[in-house]
Amino acid sequence: MTVPDSRNTISYSKEGPVARVVLDRPDVINAYDTRMRDELYQVMQSVGDDPDVRVAVLSGAGEKGFCAGADLTEFGTAPSQTIARRTRWARDVWGLFLSLEKPLVAALHGWVIGSGVEMACLCDVRIASEDAVFRMPEVALGMLPAAGGAQTLERAIGADRALELLLTGRTMDAAEAVRIGLVHRVVQRGSLRAQADRVAAGLADRDPRALAAVKTAVRRGPDMPLHRGLELEERLLAALKR
Amino acid sequence: MSAKPRSFSLEVADGVATAYLDRAAACNRISEALAADVRDAFDELDHHDGVRVVILTGMGEAFCVGADLPADEPDLPRAAGRVRVSGCIAACRKPVIAALNGSAMDQGLEIALACDIRLASENARLGLTQIRSGLLPWDGGTQRLPRLIGQGRAMEMILTARTVDAREAKEMGMVDGVVPPQDVLKEARKLAETIAAHAPIAAGYAKEAVRTGRDLPLDQGLRLEADLNVLLQSTADRAEGVRSFLEKRPPVYRGR
Repeated sequence: MTVPDSRNTISYSKEGPVARVVLDRPDVINAYDTRMRDELYQVMQSVGDDPDVRVAVLSGAGEKGFCAGADLTEFGTAPSQTIARRTRWARDVWGLFLSLEKPLVAALHGWVIGSGVEMACLCDVRIASEDAVFRMPEVALGMLPAAGGAQTLERAIGADRALELLLTGRTMDAAEAVRIGLVHRVVQRGSLRAQADRVAAGLADRDPRALAAVKTAVRRGPDMPLHRGLELEERLLAALKR
Repeated sequence: MSAKPRSFSLEVADGVATAYLDRAAACNRISEALAADVRDAFDELDHHDGVRVVILTGMGEAFCVGADLPADEPDLPRAAGRVRVSGCIAACRKPVIAALNGSAMDQGLEIALACDIRLASENARLGLTQIRSGLLPWDGGTQRLPRLIGQGRAMEMILTARTVDAREAKEMGMVDGVVPPQDVLKEARKLAETIAAHAPIAAGYAKEAVRTGRDLPLDQGLRLEADLNVLLQSTADRAEGVRSFLEKRPPVYRGR
């Protein structure tokens, strides 16, 4: 069953247990703006709440790329820093991504810049096509990553590699990205969607409770001392056996 | 920065400071005097408005092959571990690039691990061999190496005292680039110039967010990142960054 939607910056559909979330501003390489934030927030809430959805695939519309980053034309429009800070937490879309217990698959092609990299890092499985190019331009523009990148990139590839990418702002190709673990698999452009669907279908076949438990254990464990992480693992396992 | 201590020297040009471990005859072993110079220099560099990026390198063939252990030192284990320098390098808020012109052994590698980006000469060897003398790495090596290359590989290197060449170090992620010996400083300068062209406050905050965030639970790390972002919105450089992008011209950052 496909459920088309009338939203403008995100298109959302379901095929059986797989939800498709598509960043859909192809004329600006899916640049992330406040409207996209609001729509992404709604859509990701549905992903979490909809009992039929077991896994979500995040991708970008158009030929040019997954996401060119934040839409800079909106920058500097916040009335003040105190309001900017409040707004950041009023609709915490990145926290919402992290709170989801369902697995998220990112299908990345072409330009994957700034918030594009950060959104990918909030997903659990990252598949890229051979032509994908990654870059963190924030520091070169006088700012910092704002979608969790200074934290999630470090957890994905290590602090030193993360810092090197952030400080230099250099581009990285898909081959290097897979070698250092930023993405998990590189496939041909033509088969990206099929490969992402295959991974998603495989995940949808698993016991969703086990997926949720392992996601919690692996995501939360590293923030704890080892003995707490082991206790968490034991608790999650006990809950699964019930 | 005019006084140049004998065992350590410093040049500053175009926002990039190049700091030399300058005891080539002793393969830049860390003496108490050298350690004190490094600490003073990094303290000063941290506050020096003209410095945006620091390169740390060694004079001569080696980067640094370890601590100074005089032959007449009767009590080796107690003497070792007195002079730590990695803390003051790690505490520097500005990006620090290690240009490993040659081997980085023991405390020499520990110092390199405290830097943010490492480039190595293809003939450099790297290792933590203190266990051969009945000692541990004492300048952060047991903490920073596993964070960088993973616990298993770090354990193997520390327990066996095995040293690796630059190529293997790169495969492990211990160094970020391997270049011919004569190009190490040149490549480090290129990298430093790239970083120095970026907004310095943002670069310092990026370092803080990544380094501090590493030791925080993720939700707290995200708070830190968001707060630093909001603080940056008050800087002129951030406005310049956005404006220059929209006007399709290179930005001019002033560190304000």
